[in-house]
Amino acid sequence: MISQVFILTSKGDHLIYKDFRGEAGVDAISAFYESVTALSGDQPPVVMTHKGMHFIHVRQGGLYWVASTKTNASPFTIIEFLNRLTALTKDYCGTLSEKSVRANFALIYELLDEMVDYGYIQTTSTDILKNFIQTEAESSKPFSLFDLSNVGLFGAETQQDKVAPSAAASRPIMANRGEQGGKNEIFVDVIERLAMVIGSNGIIMKADIEGEIRVKCYLPNCSEMRIGLNEELSIGKSQLRGYGSAVRVDECSFHQAVKLDEFDTYRIIKVCPSQGEQTVMQYQVCDDLPCAPPFRLFPSVERDSGNRLLMYLKLRCDLPPKSAAINVSITVPVPKGSVSLSQELSSPDQRAELQPKSKAVLWEIPRFPGGSQLAALFKLEVPGLSSASLLEVGPVSMCFELPKHTCTGLQIRFLRLTPTQPGLSQRWVRYVTHSDSYTIRV
Amino acid sequence: MEWASQLCENRHIGSKMTDSKYFTTTKKGEIFELKAELNSDKKEKKKEAVKKVIASMTVGKDVSALFPDVVNCMQTDNLELKKLVYLYLMNYAKSQPDMAIMAVNTFVKDCEDPNPLIRALAVRTMGCIRVDKITEYLCEPLRKCLKDEDPYVRKTAAVCVAKLHDINAQLVEDQGFLDTLKDLISDSNPMVVANAVAALSEIAESHPNSNLLDLNPQSINKLLTALNECTEWGQIFILDCLANYTPRDDRESQSICERVTPRLSHANSAVVLSAVKVLMKFMEMLPKDLDYYGTLLKKLAPPLVTLLSAEPELQYVALRNINLIVQKRPEILKHEMKVFFVKYNDPIYVKLEKLDIMIRLASQANIAQVLAELKEYATEVDVDFVRKAVRAIGRCAIKVEQSAERCVSTLLDLIQTKVNYVVQEAIVVIKDIFRKYPNKYESVIATLCENLDSLDEPEARAAMIWIVGEYAERIDNADELLESFLEGFHDESTQVQLQLLTAIVKLFLKKPTETQELVQQVLSLATQDSDNPDLRDRGYIYWRLLSTDPVAAKEVVLAEKPLISEETDLIEPTLLEELICHIGTLASVYHKPPSAFVEGSRGVQHRRLPARAGSGESSESPDVGQPVGAVPDTPPAVIPSQGDLLGDLLNLDLAPPTSSAPTVTPSMQMGAMDLLGGGLDSLLGGDIAGSPAMGAGLASAPVVMPASLGAPVSSGLDDLFDLGGGVGMPTGAFVVPKTIWLPAMKAKGLEISGTFARRAGVIQMELSLTNKAMSVMTDFAIQFNRNSFGLAPAGPLQVLTPLSPNQTTEISLPLSNVGPVMKMEPLNNLQVAVKNNIDVFYFSCQYPISILFVEEGKMERQVFLATWKDIPNDNETQYQIKDCHLNSDAATTRLQSSNIFTIAKRTVEGQDMLYQSIKLTNGIWVLVELRVQTGSPNYMLSVKCRAPEVAQLVYQCYEMVLKN
Repeated sequence: MISQVFILTSKGDHLIYKDFRGEAGVDAISAFYESVTALSGDQPPVVMTHKGMHFIHVRQGGLYWVASTKTNASPFTIIEFLNRLTALTKDYCGTLSEKSVRANFALIYELLDEMVDYGYIQTTSTDILKNFIQTEAESSKPFSLFDLSNVGLFGAETQQDKVAPSAAASRPIMANRGEQGGKNEIFVDVIERLAMVIGSNGIIMKADIEGEIRVKCYLPNCSEMRIGLNEELSIGKSQLRGYGSAVRVDECSFHQAVKLDEFDTYRIIKVCPSQGEQTVMQYQVCDDLPCAPPFRLFPSVERDSGNRLLMYLKLRCDLPPKSAAINVSITVPVPKGSVSLSQELSSPDQRAELQPKSKAVLWEIPRFPGGSQLAALFKLEVPGLSSASLLEVGPVSMCFELPKHTCTGLQIRFLRLTPTQPGLSQRWVRYVTHSDSYTIRV
Repeated sequence: MEWASQLCENRHIGSKMTDSKYFTTTKKGEIFELKAELNSDKKEKKKEAVKKVIASMTVGKDVSALFPDVVNCMQTDNLELKKLVYLYLMNYAKSQPDMAIMAVNTFVKDCEDPNPLIRALAVRTMGCIRVDKITEYLCEPLRKCLKDEDPYVRKTAAVCVAKLHDINAQLVEDQGFLDTLKDLISDSNPMVVANAVAALSEIAESHPNSNLLDLNPQSINKLLTALNECTEWGQIFILDCLANYTPRDDRESQSICERVTPRLSHANSAVVLSAVKVLMKFMEMLPKDLDYYGTLLKKLAPPLVTLLSAEPELQYVALRNINLIVQKRPEILKHEMKVFFVKYNDPIYVKLEKLDIMIRLASQANIAQVLAELKEYATEVDVDFVRKAVRAIGRCAIKVEQSAERCVSTLLDLIQTKVNYVVQEAIVVIKDIFRKYPNKYESVIATLCENLDSLDEPEARAAMIWIVGEYAERIDNADELLESFLEGFHDESTQVQLQLLTAIVKLFLKKPTETQELVQQVLSLATQDSDNPDLRDRGYIYWRLLSTDPVAAKEVVLAEKPLISEETDLIEPTLLEELICHIGTLASVYHKPPSAFVEGSRGVQHRRLPARAGSGESSESPDVGQPVGAVPDTPPAVIPSQGDLLGDLLNLDLAPPTSSAPTVTPSMQMGAMDLLGGGLDSLLGGDIAGSPAMGAGLASAPVVMPASLGAPVSSGLDDLFDLGGGVGMPTGAFVVPKTIWLPAMKAKGLEISGTFARRAGVIQMELSLTNKAMSVMTDFAIQFNRNSFGLAPAGPLQVLTPLSPNQTTEISLPLSNVGPVMKMEPLNNLQVAVKNNIDVFYFSCQYPISILFVEEGKMERQVFLATWKDIPNDNETQYQIKDCHLNSDAATTRLQSSNIFTIAKRTVEGQDMLYQSIKLTNGIWVLVELRVQTGSPNYMLSVKCRAPEVAQLVYQCYEMVLKN
């Protein structure tokens, strides 16, 4: 049972404080803030305890979203709840930030009152909540089409900042009510996260893809949406449909509102999307990847006669020629004793530097077309270089984004809305693959 | 949602102002300003004012002074304003109980409102106002709302019962709300059911025996039906409630499992975990040979794996739970090793948890893969993680024997990197590997010694010192190495000091000649210059041990150590069972039972897994058996944690305190050097009498442990026999009556009388200690001088309570025969020292040789014949036993009870010839021919033995046995 919910800024200012059970006082907030700021790096911050109060929190939008409990509650329930609370706040207020929470405190209190009663979670569904919520959202800035200009990022979390609001979500879902600005739009994003470990011999040691289909709906009344996936999609290790390049996932799970009566035969997902953002399908693939790894690295590391370490890295992008990877960054841990770096890169838009704190070389490539190959030579000055120092090089980790590309090959064949929406109803389908953890061993 | 649609019209367009402005700092007189605004006629202004008030409240300003003004705004048809006012009320009613009454009328009126949203709002808010006076007014509206036509109102009212119960439990019972609540479990709306279940569950927790949630197959069926229809949060309540139910048999258990399994694919991880909890619990009841059991195991893996793709917070919580599940049923995830491999961008706390699970899942099948991963981790940046990875390699070596060699070579590779903390961790784990596989990997010691100087952490230093001490005989410069540590002895941490002390004593026992100075130095450092009681005590123990009995010291200090268990950090099985019942809760994250961290009565009930139905194997945890090389019947001993391991090691050195080590402590006034000198002499063989003694002692060393361990047990048994003996057991061995060994006048009032007996194979010294002095005697201890048959006390002299004046205590002291040997005159003479708080006293006594006759003394006929011929006739002694009136059969029986065994009987011309054999504790055989002339009271005894000295004693023994 949730005892209190509160939202704090990173500086510890109180934004929202709601006590559900009268079990503890406001001083719990400062107790929480003290413990969370006193945490050392290796302590798990998820669950903390202070004088019989247990605090569970998540960090979103630069804020602490905290629930406290005095009972042996389920941390899963509370974390899921807090995540929903942030998602709802984002849906209702447009963005997730200190500013938007401050601006909409009355709305958030109202939401909390409907979501939780006496610590029992009642509902987190927008469909139900919209019937109760009276307060209007205060959008921190008027919605403008310019926000949609950066289509590549939209709807998807970026690697660099997982809490950055997606552009598609930067207006409140209810804003079209009584206002002219809203458009009847629906966004369907297929987002995949790729985790891979490639051994020094180039063999894939581990690979998995976590994917999801996310729908952001601005349609006020959409009774049913049909999303058609690849017909040859097979689920599970054994099942096989069609010939050749079948699209396969190991497991998938669906939002509880999804109807699956046409899924088995036609691979059609039927859903009545609520306003706001929701994940309709999640899936994952382990080990057997349908495609080649997007990047291959051919490193050679040697020491010259003096105290210099030479790293020659050749990186090949194995995407189809039409695709390209963007925001590629390569991190190569180097010996602790490294003091300076000189480099030779193949094009001027690339950058490389030695990160003094973590002792790693960071090589950044803004755009990397499929089928091409880049090379870089790094010379590191390492006083007292020994053969053991060579062992400190690697493993190489990479971050990147692959727009318009899914590693599983999952595609959306069609997107149909019934009843057919009158007037402007725009449908957007986008694909993106992010690196989750892409490691190449040297 | 019938209530929802009609409410939509309640929406109206809100103000265009941004709420942020309410947070602007308050100035003096702001309260007055707000007051004025609150009393404004304009609705908009009022609403803005209330918002400002609530903003101030949130940031912690006291706006309670505005209570009456805010309450005045309550009567409004504007729902938004009403909600804001209620928000304020809930916060301040407690501090203004009298004012809160003002609001009651509005509440009661709102409960009758045609709008269900307002009815629900009123009942919800009233429950949150924790003021006693209000509760009386709450009862009637609540009763109506519980039966409201709108489910939204009913579900709110259900929760309100729980609220009211918390304020006034008696009232709730008196008003019959609990019964209404029970009825709501059968409500048509699943949301109402879920809230009713939640409320009842909570109320039931404060009344453990109330049987409120009368769970029976019918109600379970209702819950399972509601499960499919309600929201995800409602499903959690219902699943948690189901988990408290105990099915009647395995079939019911299976059918519930079947209906719960679909929840495993829910997107909400809390639903999944609650389902896992139910399944893990009910699975316990399913027979393991059932097909469905296997199916269920397979179904549990994917949802757990899916949890690992969630955000780090959930991953961490999931991993803590998986850690429990893997300990309980490793087979669920045994093929999923790869998902626990760490990603470079995992937070450190996730990495550490994953590592822990990797070790638990490691088996012969996947060890190569695991090791390759661990080796990679060991070169990462994060120090804590690297350390744990290195440790994990060591744990793999200990867990999977086949991999030990590879692990050791991996560790050696890592040591070559010379990265300081890697080297130190590697040394700590290599010490554990040495414990598990003694005498196998000592070749690496040289490499370890090279890194001695770089060790700066106590644990690593202590481990290295342990290794040097343990293998002192193979390290040429062990003394130099240890000496180098000794220089800064007082700056070391306690664990290093203790280990150093033990290591040097070990070294001394192994290489006595070169290390006398070193051992004296460390003993004096530990005993004289240290303030640490542990260190001092251990120092004294070693000192006394070395000085009184170096052989015993060797046995104690260099005793073979028990092997360490392969699994570390296992949760103790009963706790694990309880935690499995709490999967998905805080308890499963803390790995502590709820009673340890939840205040009050809630959650204190200890939960247990149900017993497997219809089988005799009860609830023994079925799958603790590890995939590789585990003994399923004996759950592995739990080693508390890596950190404590060393502590255990240290204690192990002292583990057999009941061994044959003499416990007499020589009085302290004797010079310390003397003590040590004596010990040294005998160790070095300088004492002529001592050298054979030592040889004998060492030769018998391997038998020490079993013999001495057996002693206390059988002595207990013997006390039982003793009782029988008092009554006069006909077949019992003959026991000489007690005689006074030490008269009181010679021993400052302590009188000791005693005798010897052999009972159930154990030699007993039976003592009566009588205090004839005027003061209480305490601190008894006993020690024997070296004697012909190596008799020594097998345990300390146990005088449980102080001996008061004129009190006598009877003690049976079990003796072992592995003490130092020296030929005495007469052969059976025993010199004894007894110490008490007053002084040390010496006396000597003689024991009947019959106590040395072992039970296995019956020789094969052929052997007897051959041996008899083999022993030269010079060694034969003849005696005559006069005035014995037993016939040959009676004599046989009586002798047999004293372990004198008749092998053959021959009758020649009316003369019975009995051939008998005796074996002494030291392995000497005595062969006897006994001639019994029918009708004559005189027996003829011929004794043949390779050690003719014993013949006289044997004769005395026959005299005694036959004539008493």
